[in-house]
Amino acid sequence: MSDPDDDNIVRYGTQLDPYEEDELPSKRKYQQAPDQFAVDEHGRRRFHGAFTGGFSAGFGNTVGSQEGWTPSTFKSSRAEKASFSNQRPEDFMDEEDRGEFGIAPRQVQTQREFSGQKRPHRTQFHDGPIPGEPVLHSLVRAVHETAAVRMLRAMGWKEGQGTGERLSAKGKKKAKDQHKVYGCYIPPEFRQGQEDDEQAKEESDSSDSEFDFDTLFAPDDYEPYILNRKNDRFGLGYSGLSRHSVLGNLTGEYGSEAGSSRSHLLMKDKGKRVSIRGQAFGVGAFEAEDEDIYAKEDMSHYDFSIGGPAPVTPKKNTVQKTGHVLPGFVKATAPFPSVPSYPAPALPRDYVPAAAGARRSRFEPTTEQPRDQGLGRHELSAKARGELLGEAPVPPPTAPPPPTPAEDPIAKLVGRNVNFVTYTEKTELDFIPIKDSGKELTRVFKPFVGNPEKQKRYEQFVENKGVLERDGETDKLKEWEREREMAEFEQAAKLYRPLSGVMGDRFTHASEPDEATNPLSAVARSSTNHGLASKEQREAAEKGVYGVMTRQQTSWRPEALVCKRFNVPEVGGPRIEQKKEDRPKVAYSVFSYLESSVHDKDSFAKEQSKFSGSRSLTTSILPKTNEPAQKTNQENKSEQNNDENKKITEVSESAPGFSKRITVAELFLKESEKTKNQGAEVTETINKFDKMDLYKSIFLSDTEDEDDSKDTTNKNNEGQDFIDVPKNVERNTSPPRGIFANIDFDELNSWRRAPEESKKVEPPNKNTETPSNKVESPKANEDNATYGPKIPENLQTRILFEPSKKLIETVSVSSSEDSWVDINEVKSKKHKKKKSKKHKSKHSKKSKSKKKKDR
Amino acid sequence: MFELTPVTTLATIKCKQQAIRAVRFNVDGSYCLTCGADKKIKLWNPHRQLLLKTYGGHANEVLDAAGSCDSSQIISGSADKSVILWDVTTGQPLRRYRGHASSVTCIKYNEESTMAVSGSIDNTVCFWDVLSRRQEPVQVLKDAKDTITSIQVTDHEVFTTSVDCHVRLYDIRMGKMTSDYIGHIVTFGSLTNDGQCFILSCNDSTVKLFDKESGEILNTFTGHESRDYSIENAVNEKDSHVITGSATGEVFYYDLISSACVQKLTHCSNRPVVSLSHHPSDNCLVTACEDEIKLWGVQAMEE
Repeated sequence: MSDPDDDNIVRYGTQLDPYEEDELPSKRKYQQAPDQFAVDEHGRRRFHGAFTGGFSAGFGNTVGSQEGWTPSTFKSSRAEKASFSNQRPEDFMDEEDRGEFGIAPRQVQTQREFSGQKRPHRTQFHDGPIPGEPVLHSLVRAVHETAAVRMLRAMGWKEGQGTGERLSAKGKKKAKDQHKVYGCYIPPEFRQGQEDDEQAKEESDSSDSEFDFDTLFAPDDYEPYILNRKNDRFGLGYSGLSRHSVLGNLTGEYGSEAGSSRSHLLMKDKGKRVSIRGQAFGVGAFEAEDEDIYAKEDMSHYDFSIGGPAPVTPKKNTVQKTGHVLPGFVKATAPFPSVPSYPAPALPRDYVPAAAGARRSRFEPTTEQPRDQGLGRHELSAKARGELLGEAPVPPPTAPPPPTPAEDPIAKLVGRNVNFVTYTEKTELDFIPIKDSGKELTRVFKPFVGNPEKQKRYEQFVENKGVLERDGETDKLKEWEREREMAEFEQAAKLYRPLSGVMGDRFTHASEPDEATNPLSAVARSSTNHGLASKEQREAAEKGVYGVMTRQQTSWRPEALVCKRFNVPEVGGPRIEQKKEDRPKVAYSVFSYLESSVHDKDSFAKEQSKFSGSRSLTTSILPKTNEPAQKTNQENKSEQNNDENKKITEVSESAPGFSKRITVAELFLKESEKTKNQGAEVTETINKFDKMDLYKSIFLSDTEDEDDSKDTTNKNNEGQDFIDVPKNVERNTSPPRGIFANIDFDELNSWRRAPEESKKVEPPNKNTETPSNKVESPKANEDNATYGPKIPENLQTRILFEPSKKLIETVSVSSSEDSWVDINEVKSKKHKKKKSKKHKSKHSKKSKSKKKKDR
Repeated sequence: MFELTPVTTLATIKCKQQAIRAVRFNVDGSYCLTCGADKKIKLWNPHRQLLLKTYGGHANEVLDAAGSCDSSQIISGSADKSVILWDVTTGQPLRRYRGHASSVTCIKYNEESTMAVSGSIDNTVCFWDVLSRRQEPVQVLKDAKDTITSIQVTDHEVFTTSVDCHVRLYDIRMGKMTSDYIGHIVTFGSLTNDGQCFILSCNDSTVKLFDKESGEILNTFTGHESRDYSIENAVNEKDSHVITGSATGEVFYYDLISSACVQKLTHCSNRPVVSLSHHPSDNCLVTACEDEIKLWGVQAMEE
């Protein structure tokens, strides 16, 4: 099937399906006649039988089908007025009807207007004796030309003429000879109508002879050379015999137009015989062409005169050129009277000659300078104006000597911005009178830079002290222009005077290089001002004496973060302002107290150990905490036990779950002390204690009473060792007011505690001690630091909240504590601390005192 | 006077970066970074002539770059006014700092690569915290009156040189700024390895050695030419020689004590050697001239 050679064969067309060898190639299926029908592009049958309406009958070929074709009906009721339906024939057409081969093809065509067919005017049927369209109208139908023809006609073209320039007779002849032809030039004898041409030529010649003066003729009409279609089967150039048609007309072979056949053969009927004369195929290569092989010698072929044929003598009717060109007209003898020429009107003074529309847009840059730049009133200084008004000039303040123009490039560059950059040698003269204004003035001020010629004249004017010489250039100007210029010059010479040098520094010329774009400007600058180095420094550096002279030291404060990143301790300790900022981030809320105590990992671990561990364990932990905290710890232990017993019933009394809380309390104490040390936020601590109050009022108030009773039982010796410092703080030092005014709380307290131990002594102690201790408290804190290992900072901050709670507990409990006896034994420092601390929390006292009262 | 083993060209690398603005060894000297005028940074192993990575993202010429101490990050400063922190392995910019008002001319990491210090044409020195996501400079030093040309950072000092003819030493530990007037535009400053002296390239075609403590001049090295170029200098690993580039296409080795020119390496003829970087621990130098970097060192004998 597929040989390897197959690959090299280039195939065209579609390959036939390969067939199996054992299988006979199935012949094309025979199609029944009814199956052979043409379909349109939609697969619908296109042609139908004659009885079914021809092709494409009805909308969608519905004709002949079951449903047939139902024409639209007119229906109108009162409710539903029949809408005016205008049906177009297209509504009843299929798509293919509108297609290329349909009955109403749609195609691109010239619009009627231009197609030569004049748009039919609305026919107006007049109501004359004969109604309807006028008969004449229908008979005489105007033939309309195409638009092009109409245009040509409007331009003077007439039918039968060619287009183009009019030619003289000679030119026309020449043009005819130089007939432009594309492709091969047709030999003249084959050209159609050659004879006519020649005739025409002769005619024209003759006509030329008649009018050989300069008359112009329209060019000849263009004759398109139309190639005749070859519609026979003869050889090229051969045309067969023409024969007479039945009707006796000489018709050309194969239906060509009569007489158009140009056969070389002639057939003549002579009675019954038909004679054929002529030449069929021309002459062979080896034969000489005979004029007429069948010709007989005839005298007519002879020339009877000597010489060539007589030239046709041109008969010229020369018309008198000079004379009467047109009948009835005579050439004039006298010349026309000359038209008087008037001088152009004088231009107005302020007329600016400018070509109309020279500047089409206002955004277009002007090429010429605006005239009289800088002559405006506002560009004058007060002094200049005063000068103009005749005021005596005020002596100007002594200005710093301006740089000489020689060294200043600006002065050279100065052009338009003349008003700003001004230097003169004469600073003492603020105004230069015309007499004094000389070269130095013009060198700097060029008010007419835009117009160099004018500037030159101005300079000349200034040099000559107000006299303008007339020269070639000035002569070009009009009188009024000259006058005006003089006025301008005078004014300019008056006004263009230097400003004092002070102003000069403020402005720079636009053409000065911009420093921002010049990378080297910085270098240049700093090398000139030496980076603000002092004179001494510069001198020292020049001498090479570096060291003390060239050195400067200033203090510099690195940012905290920089120090941190460089692992360098911050200079001068942490900044106070920063601390302040950090503070408020710590938010105190009841919930934070509650949560943190349990959710903190460390505290939780501790608690665990406390719960499981024995007393010895708790004590072992204690040394880690600070001494004062320890104190409270111990002291609170007993009280706390009670607390816990009440709160957490599961916990046995012997194994106290307090320790965790206590440690937290210690931390808080420490923290609060710290804050005190830093000098700071008394109010904050107060706030803290406020919070404590709140907490206490919620959670602790009810337990306190029981505390008292059990205190005594649970208290051990250790507990007694420690002072009940918080109690002191609880004490409100202010005299009782209001309903408490007459109540002696101390009395009450002592009375209650009387059976337990004699603690009445304590209250007075408290009061006396607190004020003095306050001052010492910072010291105490330092002490604090010496005891035991420090608690990691992060931990400290994390459990910052809990201690407050703890403290409250301790405080509240301690108020009922009886360990006042121990005060003397314990270092005074410690409790002082606490006292002072608690002293701050004056707000909390009220609530506490209330509680006391309750008791 | 120390004996200097003469160094020879070990490798020449065409970087195809139009012009090399700076070439820098990494912390251990095994790789080097080239900053190109084609806005890219290329990481090379110069010892094996390998191009390792190209870092593209700057919008203008890269003027300086530095590798972090763990070689995991690169920080670069560009004429597009930005400082970019790059991830070495991915080649992606991690952060882009836009605090400078003008081209960033020089940049350095601190010892732990936790902070970058950049100097700019806007006369400021900015400290960037690369650990946090902070986009603003941690601190801005505005003492200089003109372009900062170079920065050196030690464990507790920041040393800057400026076009305003001053060098400034910021001591973080002391909280003190010492400025020395030099009298010439200082195009580059480096510190000796012992941290006692600074070596300044001045635009009067000299290199000056100053005592850091007193600010006194110790030595002046002449012989090279600086013209208008910002020529860099370096000190060798033993602090025995001062190395400087030259506008003449040579590299000069001066003896630190005697100030005599000990060796002259010819990188190329009459084209300026603008940047050079000395190996931190080896007698090995890399120099940049136009589009070419050269590695100089002592040829290893053993095969």
